[in-house]
Amino acid sequence: MKVRGIGIGSMVYGVGYGFSRPDFASAEVEIAPDGTVTIWSGASELGQGIRTVLSQIVAQEFGAAYEDIRVISADTDKTPDSGPVSASRSTYVQGNAVLAACKDLKQELISLASELMGVESNLVEIQNGQIAAKDKIGKIISFSKLASEMHVQGRRTHGFGWHNNRTLDVDKNTSQGDAYSSYAWASQLVEVEVDTQTGRVKILRLASATDVGKAINPQLIEGQIEGGAVQGLGFALMEEMQVEQGVFNNANLSTYLIPTAADVPPIDSLIVEVSDPSGPYGAKGMAEPATIPTTPAILNAIADAISKRVRYSLASPENVLKVLGKIDGSGKEGFLLLEDIPYPVA
Amino acid sequence: MINNQKDVLMDLVINNKHISIRAGGGRCLLDFLREDLSLMGTKEGCGEGECGSCTVLLDGKAVLSCMTPMERAIGREVTTIEGVGRPGNLHPLQQAMMEEGGVQCGFCTPGMIMSGVELLNRKSNPNRDEIVEGISGNLCRCTGYRKIITAIERAAEKMS
Repeated sequence: MKVRGIGIGSMVYGVGYGFSRPDFASAEVEIAPDGTVTIWSGASELGQGIRTVLSQIVAQEFGAAYEDIRVISADTDKTPDSGPVSASRSTYVQGNAVLAACKDLKQELISLASELMGVESNLVEIQNGQIAAKDKIGKIISFSKLASEMHVQGRRTHGFGWHNNRTLDVDKNTSQGDAYSSYAWASQLVEVEVDTQTGRVKILRLASATDVGKAINPQLIEGQIEGGAVQGLGFALMEEMQVEQGVFNNANLSTYLIPTAADVPPIDSLIVEVSDPSGPYGAKGMAEPATIPTTPAILNAIADAISKRVRYSLASPENVLKVLGKIDGSGKEGFLLLEDIPYPVA
Repeated sequence: MINNQKDVLMDLVINNKHISIRAGGGRCLLDFLREDLSLMGTKEGCGEGECGSCTVLLDGKAVLSCMTPMERAIGREVTTIEGVGRPGNLHPLQQAMMEEGGVQCGFCTPGMIMSGVELLNRKSNPNRDEIVEGISGNLCRCTGYRKIITAIERAAEKMS
């Protein structure tokens, strides 16, 4: 028999390292006479798109063309220390560092533009890729012209920025407190179909809503949401590291299965934007939040479908059949039940 | 790699170019492509035929180059990602992968594109199930596949 169920998983996630741990990044930007800009950042590109996002930040701040921005990243010989890419911190902390480097240089840019246009510097604004004088139609100067003049007039063309994500530690005795400067939120909704004969769980559809603060690049965020959900699907249904005396028994991709294109359900990626003033343009970290709610949402949906809760960390067909009482689950065969894990009681 | 095998004459067509060179035999096609021809676009993921990263076309058919003895390519035609398109003259699927966001870390991408190209050569207007089947041997850990599937759909539309 095939039965269906719906489940929700929700999470809150502290972005960055928190707990007053060191969490800082530095970055440099330089404007070349031809109007190109180089960013030096220690942020490493893993495919999440941080090079794209950092370039977008610089293009926005300077009114430069996105195509004219070059990124030199994650080279300890050349780039300043930006800390690791982890804890969903790269846009939030390293992005803020690049923003600070731009701001370091922006005053120089604006004062020269005001001289060239013959207007007060508070009337200069950078908008839609151009540097223009407020309320004075026709007074426009291109970024590349300005860049060239900066060099001709011997202005500073190199900016440095540092961002420190300062956080508080929790109370040592009570473990209570506000340990992060930014929190990300996400909820996922999953519909499953469980085959009670075989124990196989099929994900019919999945919706993932992630609060990203501000979507600097919506396409990259969708990619993270979809990729995160599919990893979470793997954790819930397929992936289990089988370790025996420190040795992996399934250390290759024919025995440790990960989702293929055929395992992916239709996914609705919902981007929620609740601005966080501490992030660049209100953005906050969203990479790990995209994968955390998936497994609980799937396990909840299975419980809804079969009216019994899978307490194994993996809802494999075998474990689902054990929960349904169709095969003997008493031996546990090395699986750890969640209820076996001691939970601290207040 | 320690290689005690004799040299073989590798006479074949690679990316529409005829080559004929002597090379240490007994290796897989992937190693021959990367080590002897410096065609680094083809990636080794698992090296044991499970992930699809090393997919190339042999006489137009997708094969796993890590599992294909190099000698099997003699007298035949091999297409790697370098032969699919170049900057400025990209294959519609390469263009669609960029536009749809089908690339994240990029490691599965060359193999994924080779499987996609083979599918599109075989079938001009594949439906979603056929696309999923066509790339089901190519693992991707980043994207969740959906944008890759959409990219193949877009490429098929452009090519028809």
